[in-house]
Parts: sequence; structure tokens; C-alpha cells
Amino acid sequence: MLVLGIETSCDETAVGIVEDRFTLRANVIASQVELHAPYGGVVPEVAARAHLEALLPTIDHALVEAGCGLSDMDAIAVTSGPGLIGALLVGVSAAKGLALAHDKPLIGVNHLRAHVEVAQLEFGELQPPLAALVVSGGHTSIVALEKVGSGGESGDDGRFRQLGATIDDAAGEAFDKIARFIGLGYPGGPEIDRLARQGDPKAIDFPRAMLHEPGYDMSLSGLKTAVIRYLRRLEAAGTEPDLADVAASFQEAIVDVQVVKTLRAARDEGLERVVLAGGVAANTRLRARFAEACEREGLGLVVPSIPLCTDNGAMVAASGANLLAAGTLADLELGVDPNLPLAG
Amino acid sequence: MLILGIETSTGQSSVALVGTDGVVASASLGVARRHGEFVAPAVQFCLRQAGVGADRVTGVTVGLGPGLYTGLRVGIATAQAFAAARDLPVVGMSGLDVLAFQVRHVRRLIAAVIDARRGELFWALYRAVPGGVQRQTDLRVGTAEQLAAELEATGEECLVIGDGLSRATHELDRVGIETFAAVPDAAHLAELARPRFEREETQRPADLLPIYLRHADAKIGWEARGRMQGGAAT
Repeated sequence: MLVLGIETSCDETAVGIVEDRFTLRANVIASQVELHAPYGGVVPEVAARAHLEALLPTIDHALVEAGCGLSDMDAIAVTSGPGLIGALLVGVSAAKGLALAHDKPLIGVNHLRAHVEVAQLEFGELQPPLAALVVSGGHTSIVALEKVGSGGESGDDGRFRQLGATIDDAAGEAFDKIARFIGLGYPGGPEIDRLARQGDPKAIDFPRAMLHEPGYDMSLSGLKTAVIRYLRRLEAAGTEPDLADVAASFQEAIVDVQVVKTLRAARDEGLERVVLAGGVAANTRLRARFAEACEREGLGLVVPSIPLCTDNGAMVAASGANLLAAGTLADLELGVDPNLPLAG
Repeated sequence: MLILGIETSTGQSSVALVGTDGVVASASLGVARRHGEFVAPAVQFCLRQAGVGADRVTGVTVGLGPGLYTGLRVGIATAQAFAAARDLPVVGMSGLDVLAFQVRHVRRLIAAVIDARRGELFWALYRAVPGGVQRQTDLRVGTAEQLAAELEATGEECLVIGDGLSRATHELDRVGIETFAAVPDAAHLAELARPRFEREETQRPADLLPIYLRHADAKIGWEARGRMQGGAAT
């Protein structure tokens, strides 16, 4: 059973092919990062234009890599939300064109669930009950996955239950903003990660908002403001800041909040494993701290390799394969939903 | 020969299947913002009405604009994916050419116009020639005043056909130019493209790109935003 997955929700044009739900056959990404770098963020119209230009060559490339043709596919899966509306529409329209041309089933995939489900390509069937932290440029949520993920149930929309989320900025957004403020390149996550390795994470005690409040929601915009205020204060005093220390301390504050809230949720809800998902799960400090903390707490930890954490087509194909197995198909009227929630 | 035409450059999108003897099936929708949901089911509807499968289509033609960017991309992405999947030749056409073609029997100078939003219009001028129309100018983007001035300067009798003319009525009335409201539609598009398929003047699906006529407008917005958020720490 082969599923082709198309991902165009943000700034990566990506196509993946998955066989029998667990085997990755192709994963091709045409990144637009360089197009958006001069603006310090993703520009929706630039993204939509670039997706249209890149998509057909990316599909071709994936088919060559997998050594198969479109007519061999059992279904065409595509991210239908959340994301940038104009960008999503390019992928969904192309997916419909492919499905029409070969009379194949069409599957609408939730980008956020796909970030979690991609782990099945490296670790096999996800073993609930587990907590997943989905952390990216647009989202920071903690969800529970409680039911057994057999093929028949994988497409069940009720499987994911939202436990908590950021009430303001997403973690990736905070990384980008602070990176821009201290003059680092875009995207900010990898730049902060790199700079932070030379700094002391305990150098500056930035705030961890809501850390001791009950529940699993978090707030990151106050942290961002605190970093900016700290830098302005030094500037006013004529002191040169140690940017590596700033990056390391800022990153540590974000990571602390993620670790504490996710592990608290896992403990309180009786969840046995933690899955890290989304682009910010590529952050080395986040990965290391979760490894320590889960070990200490006796929790299992599932962390996809970095290329499967950032946006990719394989995750859409994997999630699509689960939905196909469950018989959850879309029709040709499939719309896009820029605000599609992770858990319904 | 069975040509699939898709036109989504204005608020009214349409799909048509055109054979050697003319239109076999067509569908259109006048609700803007719903192109995304409309196009693929409309293709399926046309194939079913014609009683054929996707494998019987021999070519795909699509409107490249200028027009509403999001709609254009829906039409083009659907058309090129369909064509690529079936290994079919494609022909991309400007909606302005299609509009002028719709009034090809008019002996006057023809101005085809499409709403560009933000108070502007897209247009080009045409003249009837045996078998169709010939474009006389580049594709332009500008205000109704600029269009009226350009037409007035020709000193010729003109017919203005197109979409978004309500914006230009006052200016065009002032210089005494007749207007005719219309949108480019997929059946005319496919008819106009048919000779190109016959002569094998076709393109590859990946070559199809929208005619934007405007930059992505990103720089201004992001520079302003960068300043708002503090920009560099200096």
C-alpha cells in the first residue's frame, strides 16, 4: 500500500511516499528558506508563488526516489490545515488534480497530527498512552494519545486530546523574534541553537511564565519581552551583552517550560511515553533536556530524527496512510482550514 | 480530441470539456473565494456528463491570468497536476486573450479588462483578425483613469469588455466608450486553445505559471514590521 503525501502549509514544498504505513520510500523537500530570509519571516504571497513553481518537480523527484509511478499509488494525501491559506491551496489543488487523473482516493491530513504520527516511520506503531509535545513556528501544544493505534483506529479523530498550549507566542516564533532582535539570521531556531552552545544557560535568569501555575498551558511572550528589555538596559548602560549567554539563557527558559509542562502532563494523566514533534523538536538543547528528564522520571521518549521533525512530506504520507487504513477519505470538495486544531 | 479547460482568474470560475465539435460539458460558479472547493468536483462533473474517464482527455488548457492570485493558483495547480499525472500536453492562455476572443466579431478596437483589486485594473488592447483576435499591446496594470486616457489617445472607436468594469464606468462613460461586462470562461478558453493543440504548439505542465504583473509586495510590509518590533538591537 503506497501513499503519496504533499505538504505546502508553510515554507517547505515537500513530498513523501510511504509504503504500508511504516516504510519511508521517499522524502523530498524544496525549501524556500532563502526566499524568506531577507524578510526575517515567511511572506505568504512569496510562499504561495514558490510552492506552485516547486511542486511538480518535487513530486517527480519523490517518484523517482521511490522508484514508482503515480498510477502505483493507493491514495494521494495532502495537508489541508493548519497553515497559510494560499500555500495550503496550492498543495490541495495539485493533490486533487493527481487524484482526479488516476481516480485515486484523496486524503486530507492535519499537519499537527502528522508531526506526531511521522514517528511511526522510525519507531513503528506509536504506543499509547503517550504525551506529545508539538512545538514549531506556529504551534506549541501538549496532547495526549490514549487509544491503541491499530491500523483500524489510527484515523479516529478522537484519538488526540489537547492538554495544554501556549496562550500567546509559539516557541518557534519566540526563537525567530529574538534571533532577529540580536541580529542573527532567519530561521532563528537553528541560529539560537548554534550560538547558545557557546553560552551559559544559567547566566541570566529570564522568567518562566506560568511554570508553577496548575495546568499545562504556557506563555512565551513575556519571556521575549524580558530578553528585549534586558538587552536595552545593557545598551543604555553602555555595556556590551554576551549574546551567547543571552541565547543560551533564553533557550533554557523556553526548554524549561516545555519540559516541566510536558512531564507534568504525562505524570498527571498517567501517560507512559513522550513524543517530541515539530520543527522546534530539532533543537539540540530541547532534545537533550527531554532525554535527561524522561530518563529520570522513567518515561519512554520518542524523538524523530531531525529531517522528520521539520516540515516534510513523509509525515503527510504517514498520517495519510493511517487515515487510508481507517477508511477516512476526503472527497474532491476538500477545503483548506488555516486554523485546523490539533485535537477536535 | 478532448480538451479540458480550467479558468479561475476572476470571481467566476469555470471548467469545460471541449471536443472537435464544440463544448461537450461545462460548469461554472459565480461565488468568489470558493474556487478551491469548486474546480476539482467540476472537472469530475464534466467527465461524468460526457460519460468519459480521465484517460480520454487529450490536452489541458488553463487561464494564466492576470487576475486573482489565489484563484489562479488553484486552477493552475489542478490543471498542471492533472496533466502531469496523465502525461498530457498543456496550453496556458491569458484570460484577457480569452475575453477579447469572446467578442472577435467586433470591428472596433477591443480593450479586455480584468479587475486587479486595490483600485486597479489589468488590461490589453486587441484587434479582430481573420479567425480570432490579435493583441496590440503588452498586458498592463493601472487605474481606470489610465485606461480611459490610453483608449482616448487612440482616437478610435473602442469596445471595453471585461470584469470589474463598475470601477471604471465613470471614467469610460466620460470619454464615451461602450462597456460590456463579461468574464473569461473555460469553454471559450478551450476553443481558443484548440488550434494550438492541433498545431502541437503546447507546453509542459511545469512550464505553466500565473501572469502576476505585480511583485509579491513583501518588502514594504516586512520592513515596516521589522521597525515595529525593534529590528536590529541598535
